[in-house]
Amino acid sequence: MRSSTLRDLFILLAIGAVLFAGGYYLVKQIGKSDIDLSYEVSIKQEEQLGDLFKDMIENKYTTIKDNKADSALQQITQRLIKALDSTKYRYEFTLLRSEEINAFTIPGANIYMFSGLMQLAETPEEVAAVLAHEIGHAEKRHVVSKLMKELSITAILGVISGGDPSVLTQVLKEIIRTSFDRKQEEEADVFALELLEKAGIAPKSLGRFFERLNEKDLDYNKNLEILMTHPHNDKRIEQSRRYKTKNDFKAIPFDMDWKKVQDSL
Amino acid sequence: MEFHPLPQPEEIAEREKEDAMGAYLMMFAAVAVGLPLPIINLIAAIIYYYVNRKKSRFIHFHCLQSLLSQIPTTIINWIVVIWAVRIFFTDLTLNETFWAAVIFAGASTFLYFIVSIIAAYKARQGKMYYFLFFGKIAYEAAYRVKPEDENPTGPVNKPPF
Repeated sequence: MRSSTLRDLFILLAIGAVLFAGGYYLVKQIGKSDIDLSYEVSIKQEEQLGDLFKDMIENKYTTIKDNKADSALQQITQRLIKALDSTKYRYEFTLLRSEEINAFTIPGANIYMFSGLMQLAETPEEVAAVLAHEIGHAEKRHVVSKLMKELSITAILGVISGGDPSVLTQVLKEIIRTSFDRKQEEEADVFALELLEKAGIAPKSLGRFFERLNEKDLDYNKNLEILMTHPHNDKRIEQSRRYKTKNDFKAIPFDMDWKKVQDSL
Repeated sequence: MEFHPLPQPEEIAEREKEDAMGAYLMMFAAVAVGLPLPIINLIAAIIYYYVNRKKSRFIHFHCLQSLLSQIPTTIINWIVVIWAVRIFFTDLTLNETFWAAVIFAGASTFLYFIVSIIAAYKARQGKMYYFLFFGKIAYEAAYRVKPEDENPTGPVNKPPF
């Protein structure tokens, strides 16, 4: 090959490398601006937004209060909250009557769990794992970030200051039905594994719950926010299995009869 | 290495200029038909090359340049398509490198479209237009003096007696 042809080849390769590097830089910049989205809404505004949704959810579903299942949920969540180093939120956990297998977080750290999920879980530790994952979404402000991607800041602030109720219903649908992106799910998983360890709950419980869902062959995409858009959870199960706890870690079992808790639902 | 002399625009027949331009324009139609699988353009370019290369050296050059220069963008686009399919159906992560590859494929295809439009315009005017690297390879293949050019084999069609 002539030297001028070879020189052309190097120039082409250099142009290709510059284009790829430029693309990578652009993606990095977009990624950075994504992270900052949630900071345009303050914690107080988030709580106000949460209060609006709370009423709507509690009108739509029957809440389960003052029975064995509710007190079991409170016992589980107290362990998790105690293990949080610090938090900007006042957490509230509510059990809703529905066969749906789902748990979701609304703005202002209000976490809801359907009774169907409690029925499916074989141990309180598995429920704790799902809740720890949801706490992860709240602490990382994923709910607000998700809303900011779907709606503009003006629309969100409009909703807070008493906007159109139909918009509110639409936003609520987004929160319950749409999933977080893969990166956010991974962040929430990592957060959950660490929180479970701090709370004296075996981090493997998270993977065990995912396995149970795989066994049941549930329609993840439609029903499960906690399982996001992707149909394969093997990597997440593997991550939970491989999580290394500290040498002195000792799981403290919950003091409750799980069968009786489930029977009370 | 010897080369055949390059014809000047006024020496090239209108039909030749159109066929040479067609080598680039055909690719646009084939890309549109082939989406989302970026392979039809390459198949069309190969067929176009084999059908037209014997017509004249000028057409041979442009057809070959169009065909060769499509190979890298086709490969890049294929990699991105296969990568996207694997992300959708398996546990691969939708990461920053993937998005960078998508931008890279898009930008390369866009650049390629621009130079192809320029080449098509020049070919219609009966002018040579050399792409980086591929232009030189196509020129060498089309215009290099080959032994069979100087010692052509006898006629293929002969009378029966």
